[in-house]
Amino acid sequence: MIKKNIPGLQIREKTRIQHLISWLAPFLGLILVLVIFSLMPEVQDRFLRISNFKSVATQSVIVALGALGMTLIIISGGIDLSAASNIALSSVIVAFAINAGIPPVFAVLCGVLTGGFVGFVNGSLITSLRLVPFIVTLGMLGIARGIAKWTAGNQKIDAPLSWVNELMARHPSPSWLLMAPGVWLMILLAVVMAVVLRYTVFGRHVFAIGSNEATARLCGIRTNRTKIIVYSVSGLFCGLSGVMQFSRLTVGDPTVAIGLELDIIAAVVIGGGSLRGGEGSILGSMIGVFIMAFLRNGSTMMGWPNYIQEIIIGAIIIVAVGLDQLRHRRE
Amino acid sequence: MKILTKKLLLLSIGFCMLFLCCGEKEDGDMQQERGRRLLIAVIPKGTTHEFWKSIHAGAVKASRELGVEVIWKGPQKEDDRAQQIIVVEDFINRGVDGIVLAPLDDRALCRPVQDAVRESIPVVIIDSGLQGEDYVSFVATDNYKGGVLAAKKMEELLGGKGKIFLIRYQEGSASTTKRENGFLDTLTAEFPNISLLVQDQHTGATTESAFQLAENLLGRFPEVDGIFCPNESSTFGVLRALQESRLAGIVKFVGFDSSPKLVQALQQGHIHALVLQNPLKMGYLGVKQIVYHLRGHEIETLIDTGVYLATRENMDDPDIKALLEPDFSSYLDR
Repeated sequence: MIKKNIPGLQIREKTRIQHLISWLAPFLGLILVLVIFSLMPEVQDRFLRISNFKSVATQSVIVALGALGMTLIIISGGIDLSAASNIALSSVIVAFAINAGIPPVFAVLCGVLTGGFVGFVNGSLITSLRLVPFIVTLGMLGIARGIAKWTAGNQKIDAPLSWVNELMARHPSPSWLLMAPGVWLMILLAVVMAVVLRYTVFGRHVFAIGSNEATARLCGIRTNRTKIIVYSVSGLFCGLSGVMQFSRLTVGDPTVAIGLELDIIAAVVIGGGSLRGGEGSILGSMIGVFIMAFLRNGSTMMGWPNYIQEIIIGAIIIVAVGLDQLRHRRE
Repeated sequence: MKILTKKLLLLSIGFCMLFLCCGEKEDGDMQQERGRRLLIAVIPKGTTHEFWKSIHAGAVKASRELGVEVIWKGPQKEDDRAQQIIVVEDFINRGVDGIVLAPLDDRALCRPVQDAVRESIPVVIIDSGLQGEDYVSFVATDNYKGGVLAAKKMEELLGGKGKIFLIRYQEGSASTTKRENGFLDTLTAEFPNISLLVQDQHTGATTESAFQLAENLLGRFPEVDGIFCPNESSTFGVLRALQESRLAGIVKFVGFDSSPKLVQALQQGHIHALVLQNPLKMGYLGVKQIVYHLRGHEIETLIDTGVYLATRENMDDPDIKALLEPDFSSYLDR
């Protein structure tokens, strides 16, 4: 009753609670998944082991790197359906380059840059042709996959083993690393991206474009340039993800990661990203990635058939987004 | 807003309680059981093909005879190498006693298998080969021989000359590549009058993609006399295309593996011969080998489960019939 007389206070309190909830919601999901599996008698002693957490972290790197870029794109109001094809293409390029006798460092660089180039093309087409991102990246999904198969000669490429293949080893070679170098890279890049999104001008511009592109343009933001950067950066992440994919498979496989773009998008959406743009966070997306990875890990350990885990993940996507919508409507 | 938080909280607490209850109830029996039964993970390449269902049945048969527990789990996406690696890793973490694996890639699965061996979990490889020496036994069909058998039958069907398609399955799949090579080598070495119109087209993983490929090829080369396919999904896809374009029965067709639909087509004369493996035996021996190894017996490092040729004439022989239409209703629910 008293509060009603002081609207400012009410609003402030409300927003604080809302902040807390939207920040906590994805965490709750992750904790729920962890709790459920650690209560299963068949696996509880094994599920909570550090070695299991380490391997889930390693398994998550590929999707997580893709999700870092995808978060950026989704916040800007776009979408990238070509992410998985881009990952496959980059991994094939790395294998191809190593096979051609190029030193691994440059091969890795080639892979990452290939990813970045695909992203750049996406961004340029979207801005110059004024096409919807959905269409452009849908086209690129086919183009990148096709080029990957072409480069690999419709085969997988067996490349000689090198240090690149140690990036994703479950037992890293200097044992003081504790986790695969790829996992550390993922954590580092996640932190960097979170900071970029929150504290830099570029990051704020991305949010502005996603919230209302016309207004953003009127405010003097160079929307086209920003969008091209967004897609290019996202492409670089896909390239890096491709390097990790190659590292894990030890072969360049053009048919790898088919449909992975949907996992990546699901992770971002579970983590609070809105397909209407202007919303999303790196932390949320990372939690989305881990929710799915732990579900997969737990279901496999339980020996559940695949269709159960597919149904569960599908349900989680709908529930997560449904709750998010509910929250918005109340605001 | 507060109501929503409360609901969320209640919901999660409810869930936890539910699982807690279930957990406590089962705990006693499960622990006892785990104390004496070996736990074997059997990892196929996929779970939807008939072939893998037979392997599953064989694995269940062995598990019943030997008193062990079998977990059956394939990669989430059919034929996805990266997913299969994840499944192997998860079973290592689960701490199973042994793994029976049909590797999707002879190279990419090497490291996960090494990881298993490092954690002292022995691995038996079935169906397709794996590079390296980390596994204790390899139980498989001699795929090359299967291809040779198919080529000889094709020559017999065509009367020594004709134009044919060799349709390939998928890039990098070792077992089907060996069949294709066996077929191709025999053809080029022994039957120079048979020419290949197509020999480097891959169907991809699904029946649908095989169907489309075959439709396109038949449209382009209507003069074809014979077709060879190296596995079930490609055989069925090509069969559908032949039936759609009314060429079934006219084009000599040699396929690989069996399923109810393929058996029906064999009966109707739409398929002229099927090369058969013995997947039930493969699944059975895979589990048996790993259990014998775990119990300290000496085991053979290489077992060939054999290839057989089924035609319309011999399809009612009891031995061939058992391979064509394996009865595993007693082992699997569905």
